[in-house]
Amino acid sequence: MSPLAAPRRRLSPRTKAGLGLFARYATIFGLIAMIAAFAMLSPRTFPTVNNFTNVLNQASLAMIIAAGLTLAVVVGELDLSVGFAASLHGILVTGLIVSNKLPIPVAILIVLAAGALIGLVNGLIVTKVRVNSVIATLGVGTILTGLAFAYSAGVPIVAGVPEAFLQLSLGRWLYHIPNNIVVMAGIVGGLWVLVERTALGQEIQAVGGNPAAARLAGIDVDRIKILGFVISGTCAALTGILLASRLGSGTASAADSYLLTAFAAVFLGSATLRDGEFHVLGTLIGALIIAFGFNGLNIFGAPTFSQYVLQGAILIVAVGLSSLGRSIAES
Amino acid sequence: MLRPERDSLVAAPSAKPFVTAEDIAKSYGGVQALKGVSLSIKPGEVHGLVGANGAGKSTLIRVLAGLAQPDGGRLFIDGRPIAIATPHRATELGMNFIHQELAFVPGMNVIQNVMLGLPKVSRAGLINWGAIAREVAPVAARVGITAPLFASVKGLSTAEKWLINICRALVRKARLIVMDEPTASLSAAEGEKLFRIIEDLSASGVAVLYVSHRLDEVLRLCHRVTAFRDGRSVAEIARADLSRAALVQAIVGRAVGRIAKPAIAPPAGDIVLNVRGLARLPRVRGVSFDLQRGEVLGIGGLVGAGRTELVRLIYGADRTDAGSMVLDGRPFLPRSPAAAVKAGLGLVPEERRTEGLLLTKSVAFNLQLANLSRIVHGPTLPLIDRRRRRSLAQSVIRDLAIKTPGVDTPVGRLSGGNQQKVVIGRWLLRGPKVLILDEPTRGVDIGARGEIHRLIRDLAARGMAVIAISSEPDELPDLCDRVLVMAEGRIVRELVGPDLTRNAIIEASYAEPALEGASA
Repeated sequence: MSPLAAPRRRLSPRTKAGLGLFARYATIFGLIAMIAAFAMLSPRTFPTVNNFTNVLNQASLAMIIAAGLTLAVVVGELDLSVGFAASLHGILVTGLIVSNKLPIPVAILIVLAAGALIGLVNGLIVTKVRVNSVIATLGVGTILTGLAFAYSAGVPIVAGVPEAFLQLSLGRWLYHIPNNIVVMAGIVGGLWVLVERTALGQEIQAVGGNPAAARLAGIDVDRIKILGFVISGTCAALTGILLASRLGSGTASAADSYLLTAFAAVFLGSATLRDGEFHVLGTLIGALIIAFGFNGLNIFGAPTFSQYVLQGAILIVAVGLSSLGRSIAES
Repeated sequence: MLRPERDSLVAAPSAKPFVTAEDIAKSYGGVQALKGVSLSIKPGEVHGLVGANGAGKSTLIRVLAGLAQPDGGRLFIDGRPIAIATPHRATELGMNFIHQELAFVPGMNVIQNVMLGLPKVSRAGLINWGAIAREVAPVAARVGITAPLFASVKGLSTAEKWLINICRALVRKARLIVMDEPTASLSAAEGEKLFRIIEDLSASGVAVLYVSHRLDEVLRLCHRVTAFRDGRSVAEIARADLSRAALVQAIVGRAVGRIAKPAIAPPAGDIVLNVRGLARLPRVRGVSFDLQRGEVLGIGGLVGAGRTELVRLIYGADRTDAGSMVLDGRPFLPRSPAAAVKAGLGLVPEERRTEGLLLTKSVAFNLQLANLSRIVHGPTLPLIDRRRRRSLAQSVIRDLAIKTPGVDTPVGRLSGGNQQKVVIGRWLLRGPKVLILDEPTRGVDIGARGEIHRLIRDLAARGMAVIAISSEPDELPDLCDRVLVMAEGRIVRELVGPDLTRNAIIEASYAEPALEGASA
């Protein structure tokens, strides 16, 4: 099913039931236990409305990119270009606003379209040229990094970024909810409805579950796969735009690290509630675990290196849980 | 037919057999695949093994290869009773097996493939490829491998891969090489080359068990032939008595006449689908037929005759090389299954677990595919109406008597027969003009099989046109109004009414290829 997961193994029914329960709810218990532990250890700073809003606000950009990536993995492919693409989009949007003096909404629309286009290119390479998606998107992502350096000449675009653009990410909505959280909720909610509740979503799930069967049931598999990449690419663009707005600059490589965070969230999510199946709600929970984990580490002043160790460990545990879930579902 | 005199090559009749199988029985979960087969192979003998699909040839090979343990009977090597517990043991005993799917590692060179699975190391634990090459070179030359030993196997033809497999067997000092349908993927010229090698092997004392549907080859090559029917060995025919008629009689179980020229009468009724000259070489070589409304049309023939490939062409799953179709009076050439489904076709594929179903998804999920437009709130609001999905799924479960705890049960937990009903139910909901079923009852128990047959008849009675493929000769006469028998990519016989019998299907399956096909 997923090129990252190991081949399945055989399990006895009893172990299966126990492991199934563990695999499905481990992530949610983990999230609750972690929040409870941090709340007890640091009752003044951690369990506050302010801190929670802050964590969500910080995590929103990762959640948007991860939600988009979920669509690519639901159709059975991987999209490794999302982080690099988001970096390029951050530079592109600031460049269009600062250098080309384009109105902010126009610049944003152009960049979102560019994101969709990159997704389309990824999708065409994978479905029509038949390049493995790991290689295809890694190649495209590397090219995008090159383009980002070429466009910015290696220098961050800082000067002349208008206040209105900064407000995009820094501003707040009704009841003082940060804009990022509102946008994230819209994207995650919209994609959840798309995958779980629409006819197109059933085709998307079918293609990811068994492309050969989906094709013989009359589904246009290539079209659905391309759609997965386009959504992934568009969400990467949105994250890139919001990151540039938050940073107040367009910087090459600024969003590269979202790739790992997004993958960890997606795989943690696939181990949540369902047996190793990728789904949007799971990704949201996965992203929350990562966000609260890092927030806790920050509050306790853990050194930077530990964050890398944690991130790597989370990714491996996540893929392991996901693969365990799948072997349970298939055995 | 080519049939050179080879009496000089007949193995000495007095020789003691190398392998003897006595009354071997084997059952798989209640299905008696072998009811009692006996066979003996002498050194240097080319021994033919023939029989219809499911007669037990593959099972016997699995027993000899150590891949299956017999439930009854005895095996002897050089007259001593033995058990073959593992494939490794079979190799030690001097038996090598060349299956249709050749054992082959594409990334290795020729000599590495020859030595596959046979570690030959020096005292230091290292492999000396130079020394091995000096040993292998004469064997390679003998079987006619022209590629350099250290060349990559990339781009080698199937024939050359066969030679490498034979070379591997000889390097392992094989005394018996079992070849399963060796010429199925070889050209005529490559086949000739293989025959010469087999004759050479035979002359040097290596026995060959030659398993083939192609009776001409069996007639030409074999010193003796054993025929299987329904899990029993029914005849052992010596070279002097070998003839096509004798072989077909042994396979079918009664005397048969010469097979008539195919005569395909145009059906009288309302034609839904008209197929003309459909081809995709090499498996489908120009097929024409008409399909009537309300008809169950069977397609019979041996495995590899091109039946599945033919329906995949009709369904748009593969591209056609030539030919045309008319569906309901309109030209029809689907570029994809999606286009075929839109035009009014449905397919229940051969491999339901890998091609038909999403095993971890629910019964309702699997049923809804191909019917999504029926379960959304409306064209303007493409959201799934979950209540309608549930009630439609329940109606199918009721109509087809699918045994499942509920609509949300993962379909992988159902029995084979019920899984198959889910695939059929998907198309029942959609109501295509033409429904194609490839091996509709494979792996299905006898009760469910009857139900599926009734269901198919029912669909036809309501005006659907049905095409059913089956490798079981017994199935088609029960199920179909008319049967087309395919052999080597062509329709060789049309059977209707009193002519439509199990034996007629088997006979026609072994039809001599048509004249223009003989050179291909």
